[in-house]
Amino acid sequence: MKRKRAEKDAAASTPTKKPRAEIPDDDLEDEIAVAARTPSKRTPSKPSLIRDIHQARANGAATGLTNGDLTPRTQRKVLFSTPTKQREEESVEGTPMSARNPIVRNADRSARRKSAKRLIERTISGDQSDDDVDEEDILARQIWDEDEEEAEEDVLGDVDEEAIPETPSKRGRGRPKGRQRKRSPTPPTNLPPHELYFYQNRPGGTKTSHNTLPSHSLLNHEEYFAQMQSYKDPHTDSFDFLHSVHTRSFDQWSFELRNNFNICLYGYGSKRALVQDFASHLHSTLSDPPTTIIHNRHHHPPQKRQTSRPAPALLQLILSTLTADPPPQPLLLIINSLDAPSLRRQTTQSLLAQLAAHPSISLLATADTPTFPLLWDLSLRQQFRFLFHDCTTFVSFCGVEIDVVESVNELLGRSGRRIGGRDGVGYVLRSLPENARGVFRILVGEQLAAASADEGLGDEEGRLSPQTERRVGKAGKQRETAVEQGVEYRVLYHKAVEEFLCSSEMVFRTLLKEFHDHQMVESRKDALGTERLWVPFRREELEGLLEELVV
Amino acid sequence: MEHQKCYVFNRQGGRPAKKRRLNNSNLPSSWPLRETTYNELWAAQEKRINDVLSEVNKATTGEITAFVSAAATESRTSACRIPTGLVVAGPSIASHRTLFEHLGRDIVTQTRSAFVLLTSAECPNLKTLLKDLIKNATARSTEDDEDDEVAGNASQKGPKLLNYDLQLLYLWFRIQNLDQVVVAFQDSEAFDGSLLGEAIELFKFWSDRVPFVLLFGIATTVETLENKLPRSAKRCIEGQKFDVTQADKVLERVFHAAIDGDDVPLRLGPSLSTQLLDRQKDHVQSVDAFIEGLKYAYMSHFYANPLSLLLRQDIRYEQLSSDDIEAVRNLDSFRQLAERLLDDGEAALVRYLLESDIVLFKNVKEQLEEGQLRISNMVKAIETLYALRRCSPKMPIIPRSSLYVRAVSGELNGSPAVRELLLSVKKASSDILVQILDALLASTPEDALSIMLSLRERLVALMESNEDSSTPLRSEHDLRNETFRTTIVAQKVELSKQKSALSKKDAAYSKLVDECHSRLEAYFAEMFINPQELFLHEIFLYDLKSPHKDAFTPRPRYAVERALSAPQDYLGCDCCHSAAGSDGTESTLSSTQPSTAILYQLYLESGSLINVSDLWSAFQAIMVDDDDEQSLTMALFQRALAELRCLGLIKSSRKKTDHVAKLAWKGL
Repeated sequence: MKRKRAEKDAAASTPTKKPRAEIPDDDLEDEIAVAARTPSKRTPSKPSLIRDIHQARANGAATGLTNGDLTPRTQRKVLFSTPTKQREEESVEGTPMSARNPIVRNADRSARRKSAKRLIERTISGDQSDDDVDEEDILARQIWDEDEEEAEEDVLGDVDEEAIPETPSKRGRGRPKGRQRKRSPTPPTNLPPHELYFYQNRPGGTKTSHNTLPSHSLLNHEEYFAQMQSYKDPHTDSFDFLHSVHTRSFDQWSFELRNNFNICLYGYGSKRALVQDFASHLHSTLSDPPTTIIHNRHHHPPQKRQTSRPAPALLQLILSTLTADPPPQPLLLIINSLDAPSLRRQTTQSLLAQLAAHPSISLLATADTPTFPLLWDLSLRQQFRFLFHDCTTFVSFCGVEIDVVESVNELLGRSGRRIGGRDGVGYVLRSLPENARGVFRILVGEQLAAASADEGLGDEEGRLSPQTERRVGKAGKQRETAVEQGVEYRVLYHKAVEEFLCSSEMVFRTLLKEFHDHQMVESRKDALGTERLWVPFRREELEGLLEELVV
Repeated sequence: MEHQKCYVFNRQGGRPAKKRRLNNSNLPSSWPLRETTYNELWAAQEKRINDVLSEVNKATTGEITAFVSAAATESRTSACRIPTGLVVAGPSIASHRTLFEHLGRDIVTQTRSAFVLLTSAECPNLKTLLKDLIKNATARSTEDDEDDEVAGNASQKGPKLLNYDLQLLYLWFRIQNLDQVVVAFQDSEAFDGSLLGEAIELFKFWSDRVPFVLLFGIATTVETLENKLPRSAKRCIEGQKFDVTQADKVLERVFHAAIDGDDVPLRLGPSLSTQLLDRQKDHVQSVDAFIEGLKYAYMSHFYANPLSLLLRQDIRYEQLSSDDIEAVRNLDSFRQLAERLLDDGEAALVRYLLESDIVLFKNVKEQLEEGQLRISNMVKAIETLYALRRCSPKMPIIPRSSLYVRAVSGELNGSPAVRELLLSVKKASSDILVQILDALLASTPEDALSIMLSLRERLVALMESNEDSSTPLRSEHDLRNETFRTTIVAQKVELSKQKSALSKKDAAYSKLVDECHSRLEAYFAEMFINPQELFLHEIFLYDLKSPHKDAFTPRPRYAVERALSAPQDYLGCDCCHSAAGSDGTESTLSSTQPSTAILYQLYLESGSLINVSDLWSAFQAIMVDDDDEQSLTMALFQRALAELRCLGLIKSSRKKTDHVAKLAWKGL
């Protein structure tokens, strides 16, 4: 009778409702029953952790939602609320559970030992760990952290008890799964900034989910611009208001510039329109407006070919000309984004500073990044003679300063999309000579071959969606790195020579350079110092490319 | 236009010049006059400061220039050492550049030498050092066209030389017909020791053809440089040390020039001057930074305060608008004055001041002059105090700037600095009192001069009558030998006897000292007023800290963080305000905030590695209500992500796919 009831309870999964008075008796029975029914669940934590993760992922996949540190609340609670209670019960009641404990503890301990060993090995073996943190590491880290956390929570245990004394939960009882402790993804609130820094940088603190953005979800240029053109920011009025506030200080700026100071505008938002307005303001209010030169420097990454070396000789010439024959009025030089990557070099800044220090030049510069003052040391700062004004405009940078789509692609390591994706590459390839196409074909083919060689296990399961693919864990990870690892330079060269695509390394280099220029190929030195080349595309796209090339 | 890299701005719309409206700015009508006033007054002030600076510079640069020209007359062989000037310029690195620029100008104009300034940033290795040296030296010649040609011809004669070959310099040098080449290393500490060594040895090899003179700018000590140079290099040079006036001393003098004098129209208030001086100390800035600060104080005062117009000497009633006059009545100090007058029972005058603009104007003019006079008297009293404190050897030297800060905040009267001095005057023996009186004479205004003179005459007479000239006269307050007193603690009676048994001369001297003391005390009490209590102090004392703080020490990081984490502060809109939970529950992000702000706040919550996919889900959860907006949301998301990247808050990470690394933590 009792057993039946217990089973029913378990099936209904509402064990919490059981009043506390009954516990000792029932528990004994239940425990046996549960233990008898599910002996497998006594196994140590490790396997069930994996299953747990799998379940979570399956859930995620099923609902189409991603489960990370920022999403569903409910899941967190499930993972978090039970453990302390259960432990406490065990020790108090002295049920058969305690007999199980040593085993589990020993298993835990050895797992812990192993993971510690592994972590240490990792640390010693050096820095490549950055690139390939594989699943095992994560697991090891998890086990390690978990134990640490237990220690933490033991301290906190008392508080928890008092907070929820009347919930003799039996759910998950006897299941090792219940012992899985997950750190709450919710950060403690109201930490002072420095504490938050250490909290977020704690070892093992960077547990993120393995979700990836489906490649089609990011917009390409056309889609992006189509969306942005139809979009109207609800805050346009506020932006205009901010703009008008800054407009009111135009006279002040003009006065400051007249007094040989230079001005630097900072704050969030694009200040280009503001500066433009200021220039026209000067031209409309002053009887003899200064000659105004506007210089735009945006956050495009510096292109190798375009980097014009700022010539110190030219600067000398400019300065001496200005000194010998000073214009009646200082020239106004406006530099948009003084802290743009292309201007960040020390030499460039010191040249600009010399320019700004000249009495016949007044400078109005804008700076976007929050850390721009680090560009200048004491003497540069002195030369600049800057007065700073907070000009937060909130106007998006996306108009001119940054190319959003490209920037995001680069950020996510999908830079292959830069030249318009696969189609763009196809276009470039068509315009290239036959042997160049051949080299590219070999490269793509090799890269795919390397990827499929690693696939091994994956083939049985057939083609999987990216999310389930991730489940394969280690294998999946390796496959991906294989794609990223690319092809060794030597290997590619020899293959190309074998196929009579090129006769000398010089020719080969020239061919490669063309690819580099179109950003179809990326190269880097691996840990051993050998140069590796790869095509920055995902697998599916590579396959498409190869098809086109072969046909 | 906006995609163009660089262009000359033209008025948009192409309207001809006739459409141009002048003075359509929203500045008040009195502004042009105010600006003129500012220009005049600041020019006078700047001249005073520049005089001080050039005087300071002349001393040092003159010395070094003399050294250089002396080196020119020596005959050079490869055997003799390179003359080297070790310029100890002190720790304020920012001022080194100006110093060397002055120096270069002087050397080039006064001696027949070429001057090349090298900094460590330009010269990472010997090759670039030589390249820079040659380039900088020869670039000078391009001013004259024919030289250029000759130089070109010369280099074409022989084989083509590499651009770091000193032969180039030699060829150029021969054509220029100069005496020597001066090479200055601006920041010698930052140069690599071995690089300097190699360079010096190389110069040495060439010195029979190109006579070099080296100058080293030294921020620390000569010994540091000496330790740094290799022995072989040290053997090649013959150094002479030059001590440049240290920046803090220059600052003292400049500060003094900024406050001292009857014609200083505007003075710095206590908090602003503290701020400026502290900034100087904390950031080891050059004196120029201080001058800029001072200039900006003038600028802000004249720009923002319409009453600053009254500082103009020849201001007429008609030049003021009624608003300006009304503004005077709103001053705090006017209210204080009115209350004071009412307490004195002068209600009629208060009524006049309130009702009649012209009466007020006249009163203000008078009071302004009066106030300025009192301030400048106070500054003079500071000068006196400073001079007197230097007379007595035991007292620590308090810089004039800090005395001024204390005085102008009204704390100096009765402060330890003054009490200490008065006490020491009481105890002073006659030889020190003479010094004190001399110092006083130098700074006494005419009306009190006769009193001081008579005091001094009496003192001199007393001293002459003192036949035993080896021991000076002592006052009754003077505690004799300390040891003497402590050894006979038990025989107190004797001690007091000794005190009472002052010689006649000493008694007379004591009287003199007492008189002097009381006069000084009265003088200081009269002079060290609290300037903040003066009527119209708002006009002749500028003490606003915030414009300086904003303009010179900005907090861009804070500004950006605030804009992104609390956009409603800037936008002033209502829609975003509800975001923060008022009922103490967890605050939620509202979807009305700008997308970058939302993403930034999500970013703040995440750890050091961020999964973009999850970030996207969270972002989507906040932004989206229905599915058809998804691609718009994605566009906003991409834009926000790109902006965060552009702000340098995230960078791509290769640890995991689709992850980015967090680079900045808020509030640190």
